[in-house]
Amino acid sequence: MENLDVLQKVVVLLGCLYLSWRIVRYIWSFLDVGKDPVIVLVTGAAGQIGYALVPMIARGAMLGSDQPVILHMLDIEPAADILEGVKMELMDGAFPLLKGVIATTDVNEACKGVDIAIMLGGFPRRKGMGTKALISKNVGIYKTQALALEQHADPNCKVLVVANPANTNALILKEFAPSIPEENITCLTRLDHNRALSQISANLNVHVGDVKNVIIWGNHSSTHYADANHATVDIGVGYKSVRELVANDHWLDSEFITSVQQRGDAIIKARRLSSALSAASAACDHMRDWILGTPKGTWVSMGVYSDGSYGIQPGLIYSFPVTCEKGVWSIVQGLNIGEFERGKMDDSARELIEEKAWAYSYLH
Amino acid sequence: MAKNPLRVLVTGAAGQIGYALVPMIARGVMLGPEQPVILHMLDIPPAAEALNGVKMELVDAAFPLLKGVIASTDAVEACTDVNVAVMVGGFPRKEGMERKDVMSKNVSIYKSQASALEKHAAKDCKVLVVANPANTNALILKEFAPSITQKNITCLTRLDHNRALGQISERLSVQVSDVKNVIIWGNHSSTQYPDVNHATVKTQAGEKPVRELVKDDEWLNSAFITTVQQRGAAIIKARKLSSALSAASSACDHIRDWVCATPEGYWVSMGVYSDGSYNIPAGLIYSFPVTCCNGEWTIVQGLKIDEFSRKKLDLTAQELTEEKTLAYSCLS
Repeated sequence: MENLDVLQKVVVLLGCLYLSWRIVRYIWSFLDVGKDPVIVLVTGAAGQIGYALVPMIARGAMLGSDQPVILHMLDIEPAADILEGVKMELMDGAFPLLKGVIATTDVNEACKGVDIAIMLGGFPRRKGMGTKALISKNVGIYKTQALALEQHADPNCKVLVVANPANTNALILKEFAPSIPEENITCLTRLDHNRALSQISANLNVHVGDVKNVIIWGNHSSTHYADANHATVDIGVGYKSVRELVANDHWLDSEFITSVQQRGDAIIKARRLSSALSAASAACDHMRDWILGTPKGTWVSMGVYSDGSYGIQPGLIYSFPVTCEKGVWSIVQGLNIGEFERGKMDDSARELIEEKAWAYSYLH
Repeated sequence: MAKNPLRVLVTGAAGQIGYALVPMIARGVMLGPEQPVILHMLDIPPAAEALNGVKMELVDAAFPLLKGVIASTDAVEACTDVNVAVMVGGFPRKEGMERKDVMSKNVSIYKSQASALEKHAAKDCKVLVVANPANTNALILKEFAPSITQKNITCLTRLDHNRALGQISERLSVQVSDVKNVIIWGNHSSTQYPDVNHATVKTQAGEKPVRELVKDDEWLNSAFITTVQQRGAAIIKARKLSSALSAASSACDHIRDWVCATPEGYWVSMGVYSDGSYNIPAGLIYSFPVTCCNGEWTIVQGLKIDEFSRKKLDLTAQELTEEKTLAYSCLS
């Protein structure tokens, strides 16, 4: 009799537990457990790179296919209608990951709450315009945008400057947005990095995905140094060094370097327009690898705040080889630098020091 | 085990839609993130340099899925072994051109491309015609590529479909991914009929009909329809250029859903070879609601068509019949 009693109690208890479990699951199913959207700012969004970039962001190419995004697009007043047209098209794209779009000419509205900022906007180089003049036109723009980001963006905002002169624009931005961590302000040299991979793959007749670990040192300008000394090719049964496979040091030390430097011009010559597609794609690669991490054994090139590594003057935005993990980049240390490389790296650093001096002269 | 690459042809690839489309294909938006692709890009000789520039950029972008790029002005080389063909190229309407002139230019282009595809494409090649007049270009292509299964020749109305979803989501302030099952009936032209009678929205309280939530039949039967029909012109007005980004994106959606299947409970709009469903004359390329499974589309049957809709469906069918007659007259 007692046993039956206990048994009854156990059955009732189990029944209640089961029902509670079902109720909890039912309530849980109403909760949206997707990720919170990340706010991505694109300045100069009405231009060509912007037009190529925004659908890539909306499809998850920058932050992953499960990361919802809200796009903030900024441009100048004369481009307001065009910007609105881009917003209409984004809506018409019915992108599942795109949780909102703001199209504005107000820099404060655009910078509100942004987690990621891609700065495409800047004063473009006119025919015959030297770098000093280009810098003079851009310091004001980057100072204003820095102030807006400082005031309105998320304190951990990650910034990628694309508009030229990219390294120096990024430096100005850093100066006027002191509460954004200096390691969060970067500039794009991934396009040159990808172009270097593609030149090697064409020379060796392999797939570009099998080549890795080139380095772009220095300024995103004609003084950048495309270094293949540590680059390797996946030959199926392991990796072989690019120098060994190419077996043409002369080419690697001259033509290869210049072909990477001049690729942009070659594309303008062919298309009559500059390389928006590959620039946008490189911007996505830069951000994605930064946030989601570089694959093991692979490094990438990023323009970052120099800390004196490799004898480069600290306080410049200089392109280094980096690996990325958990949203943080680290300069790859300990690479052997020969005399030839040293010369090239220092040339580019000298140019950046000069640009920095010009920029500061326009600020005071 | 990596999949074998699929060959995707894009005609008119040096143009704006092409430039927006090729990076999407190379990133796996069209065929899925696990499917390697080889791009075949075709354009006319005056665009050969620009086309080569696009090829250079595609290589520079180092896309892992992109296993090869062919940039060619030779239709035979471009069509060889292709599994998917996206026909963006066509003769654009210039100022002062009559409809008959545009039709006649495009009829000869599509006749010769049909011939190249018929002879050189992969046997089960899936074709999507984007260039206008899309439905009729697709019909010409079908006529002159008889060994391509007629089921495999389609035209793009997914852009209009997505635009309709966007308008509803904006009106109701909901996420566009919560709206589904609008229909675009008919011709990809100003007679297309965006139909919300079977469309629903996912809400806290389950799926609700759009008509019920919008509560404004007047809007749904007039302004909504004309907004979707005229969206292309609105974007040209704003951007001073046509809607390449959204056209390219919807071309990817069209192919992806066709090849990889529509989600359960969802249908999409595709311009397909009509079989007499819904009393539409057979033998036209007409946009219907379809579901897709195992690489095949099937028209959603049994939907109620009210009187208002019936008139709209018939009007656009009539326009297509006239276009078909005009096209055939250009051929003889």
